[in-house]
Amino acid sequence: MAQASMPLARPTDTPDAPEAGSAPEAVALRPALFARYGALEQLRYDFPLVLVEDDGDGPVLQPLTQVMDAIVRQTAAPGPAGEALRQLVLRLEDAIRQRVAGGESDTLANLCRTCAADLLAASQEPPFGPTATNLDRAREALHVDGLVIDCDGATPKAVLAHAWKSVHAAKAKEFRKKIDGLILRLTDILKADFTRSDEAHTPAALESAIGASYGAAFDFHALSRVLSRGRAGEGLPKERERRIHWVLFVLRSQRFYGPGRSSERKPGQPEPHGFIFESCAAALDAFRERLPAVLEFVKALTIAELEIENKYRAELHDPVFERFDESDLSAEQLALLPASLVCLRDGRTDTAETVQAFEALASGLSIKVLIQTDDILGGTSPEPSRTAFGVGSARLAAMAMGLNSAYVFQASSAHLCRARERLIAGLRHDGPALFCVFSGAVETAPHVAPYLLAAAATESRAFPTFSYDPSAGPDWAARFDLTGNPQLTADWPLHRLEYQDQAMQRHGEEVAFSYIDFAACDRRYARFCQPGAEAEWGEDMVPASACLESTPEANGGRRPYVLTVGPDDELRRTVVDEKIIEAARRCNDAWRRLQELGGINNSHALRLLARERAVWEAEREREAPPPGAPEAAASAVPTVEPPAEAEVAEVAEPAAAGDGPWIEVSRCTTCNECTQINNRIFVYNDDMQAEIVDPDAGTYREMVEAAESCQVSIIHPGQPRNPDEPNLEDLIARAESFN
Amino acid sequence: MTATMTQCLLRLVEEDYTLADYQSDIAPRWCAGCGDSAILTAIQRLCREENLPPEKTVFVSGIGCSSRLPHYMNAYGFHGMHGRALPVAEGIKMRRPDLHVFVTTGDGDCCSIGAAHWIHAIRYNMNMTVLLHDNQVYGLTKNQASPTSPRGLQTNTTPRGACLEPLNPLSVTLGVANVSFVAQAVDWIPGLLYDIIAQAHRHRGLAFVRILQRCPEFMDHFYDDAVRDPTKTRILVHGDGLRLSPEVSRIYRNQEAHDPLDMARARALASLGDEIPVGVLYRDPSVPCYDDLRAGERPNTPDLIRTVLDEEFDKVTIWPQIGATPLGAE
Ligand SMILES: Cc1ncc(C[n+]2csc(CCOP(=O)(O)OP(=O)(O)O)c2C)c(N)n1
Ligand code: SF4
Ligand code: SF4
Repeated sequence: MAQASMPLARPTDTPDAPEAGSAPEAVALRPALFARYGALEQLRYDFPLVLVEDDGDGPVLQPLTQVMDAIVRQTAAPGPAGEALRQLVLRLEDAIRQRVAGGESDTLANLCRTCAADLLAASQEPPFGPTATNLDRAREALHVDGLVIDCDGATPKAVLAHAWKSVHAAKAKEFRKKIDGLILRLTDILKADFTRSDEAHTPAALESAIGASYGAAFDFHALSRVLSRGRAGEGLPKERERRIHWVLFVLRSQRFYGPGRSSERKPGQPEPHGFIFESCAAALDAFRERLPAVLEFVKALTIAELEIENKYRAELHDPVFERFDESDLSAEQLALLPASLVCLRDGRTDTAETVQAFEALASGLSIKVLIQTDDILGGTSPEPSRTAFGVGSARLAAMAMGLNSAYVFQASSAHLCRARERLIAGLRHDGPALFCVFSGAVETAPHVAPYLLAAAATESRAFPTFSYDPSAGPDWAARFDLTGNPQLTADWPLHRLEYQDQAMQRHGEEVAFSYIDFAACDRRYARFCQPGAEAEWGEDMVPASACLESTPEANGGRRPYVLTVGPDDELRRTVVDEKIIEAARRCNDAWRRLQELGGINNSHALRLLARERAVWEAEREREAPPPGAPEAAASAVPTVEPPAEAEVAEVAEPAAAGDGPWIEVSRCTTCNECTQINNRIFVYNDDMQAEIVDPDAGTYREMVEAAESCQVSIIHPGQPRNPDEPNLEDLIARAESFN
Repeated sequence: MTATMTQCLLRLVEEDYTLADYQSDIAPRWCAGCGDSAILTAIQRLCREENLPPEKTVFVSGIGCSSRLPHYMNAYGFHGMHGRALPVAEGIKMRRPDLHVFVTTGDGDCCSIGAAHWIHAIRYNMNMTVLLHDNQVYGLTKNQASPTSPRGLQTNTTPRGACLEPLNPLSVTLGVANVSFVAQAVDWIPGLLYDIIAQAHRHRGLAFVRILQRCPEFMDHFYDDAVRDPTKTRILVHGDGLRLSPEVSRIYRNQEAHDPLDMARARALASLGDEIPVGVLYRDPSVPCYDDLRAGERPNTPDLIRTVLDEEFDKVTIWPQIGATPLGAE
């Protein structure tokens, strides 16, 4: 193979090549686009990652760079004045990164402390110098803490377990708020009952209630007599009291969540249950074992809610709670309880476990399963892969979307932080969830950092990021989310690669980053890759991504290649075998299926669109006005709706019932004037508005006087009904203005 | 959360209330023709329409004719001290956020002796409905001028006529920070009175409704002009405010489309001189409520209170040091 002494075709913009010592054996290829990321520990990216400790309101995961940037924003003055502080914070960040890369595992606060001490020692400044002051300021502005982790084989489990704990803590908070609220209201009921009891009204009880300071001012025996005499009603029925005590006991002794602050110091309180399991079988067993406690708790909860509404009716509700069993548990009730977490690692856990995981996911229970995979390519031999169903671990998530109620999430380690909201949504989801995470810690590609491999898996569509949330809506558009992948609408993302040739001339070209680039990193695939230095490049070579659409025959024997670099950063065209091209085609096919699910290049939609367009064009052809025809559109200006007045006018004046008396009932103000004049003529209806129920239950005089005293003038006396009533003439005249 | 199951079970025992369920055994002792009766009816109708359980509803008042209202409601009630209805209501809401809290207060009760509480209650914006029965006079104590009495009004305390311009409860309320709902109603248009109180009740935050209330005893014929001449009343309508029934619309044709979020116009309307604006002047549901802000992360259960107190006491406790030599023993 080409030697380092040869003139190099070298990508420009390359940090120093790794030291010769770190170069692995003969063919350790990396995609050319990786040349820029030679020494990861010198770059600022998503890792190290801070697993932020809080109770679920915060960001849960935060890249160290973000934390440090926030410190700079908060503390450093703009412009040159803040430059020293800015530089110092960056050096602090760098020191932390080096330590984490060196395998140190500690919290951010501790790392900050040790690294700051190192920086201070290195500065050789006297005490209280500028470095010390700036470091103090920076550390004061540090408001998040948590374990700092790097990207390696342990990352997926660490991240998921941490996120689960966060969500669990938030759920615990919600739960305690709800349960404590119920406990408070129930104890209030008991307390109110007690304050009305004989026991509470004994002179001694009253005295202790008032307290010693004012005790002398009271005659507690007299007070006791007065209170006992004036007591209204009975106390709580014994049965209700017993029920409330039972509910309180169950709510207080539940073991789903810890007690939180309020009863930390209670001795003898049983430990809360654990919810992290080694296997799905263990999780399901635990569920079955705890089911009676779940049922009892849910029963107590429901009774509590009825009791505080004062709506528990023994004759109706007792039978319901006697029959109460598993089938009565609703999703809402179960959602209140913790979700279980099972972390599996493909290749390490039994294949049978994967099968069981699918069963657990299909059960609808709130079980969260992580399937970590460290190898998505699998061996090169045609034998079936180790993973269940022979589908390869890269397709597990896609399969799980068929399970209806399961939330499905897939991402590589490199994208976990960016996709954290969807990750957390999966943990919050009221039901099962599957998290497929590719760690990047591939044994057969030890020369590429796990972060880079993980990122490459996403970039090359070998392991796309996506999520499926069955609770987000009724259709795929609402449920499926493919964002987070680069250049979503393309088959492969395109990037610009710049390099120098042998003659030190700069070149640039658009290069696709495909599955082939990803596979080329893997030692197992080395035998299908033939790297060639610049001198060996020939006219018969074509970029491999261009060959994917066509058959080998159609390529006319041209040799497909991808651009790679070796440890020396020399650019090579690596000619790849048809076997890899085949695999890339399968990968592309899977990606296109995901695209369609995500509404991109959806074949149904495209067909429909084409058909509609054809129809539309045909119609336009037919309807096209003869040239020069006057614009018809002007007459089509929409007219404004007639004003609402019209609608109002339609409501007829309430018709007077002939000569009889009547009231505009809906305008009555319940003022009692008319009813006080005669409460047999004028009677309030169900809305407390006066109606004339019996016009003959009084005199015409009363009718007229009522009309006169009605301040809103809505009583219309009509004509007299008894012609023999005295002074009719005068009354008729007075009634005139009200009729 | 467990709503579905509990709600199903609650439905088993759901009651349909009638107006009578909210009427107490005590017959109202207001004068015939008093506007308070109309307000009482509107409230009872609201309780019935909204199916508010009497045991989950509280009426709090101060002192005055209007403040007698809690006696006439079959619900929880607190006939408090003069001017102090609001602080009592705030305490109730704080401890029992599940209750529907209504405050009835008079112009003397609220704008005179209770003015400080009024201002701060608006600013606290706690979730309750405040009804100001404004008859522009002290009724219960038989005819003294109140802060809202018109200039020149002769009363027992102002035999030569009130000499100050009246205070405008709408403008004052609209001027307080955090104000979230201000409306005006009149007791003599029962349909609108009901609609406005209903909107106030549904508002999240403190809903302040000034109700112009007739007092035939001491302010007889005072509102006659407005009662008789519908053009004197300007009804504020809006998709987000009042929508008029055809019946009301037919009589009250003086209408203005007013967006309740428009504070500038609300203030202008509040000080309209010759016409009475009726409707929702201002509403902003996004104003935070003190009861929500102060709700805390966890309810104060007896356990929590004990823990917190113990923690506080522990801070100042001097623990005997095990193995230390007692003083004077060396
Ligand atoms: C501390 C105190 N001061 C004065 C009074 C006397 N007082 C009783 S009611 C009232 C005024 C009530 O007027 P308003 O609030 O307008 O109610 P209205 O009777 O008009 O409905 C006064 C001053 C009192 N009861 N308590
Ligand atoms: S006098 Fe008029 S307003 Fe009063 S109760 Fe009778 S009808 Fe109603
Ligand atoms: S004095 Fe006035 S406010 Fe009081 S009850 Fe009589 S009419 Fe109503």
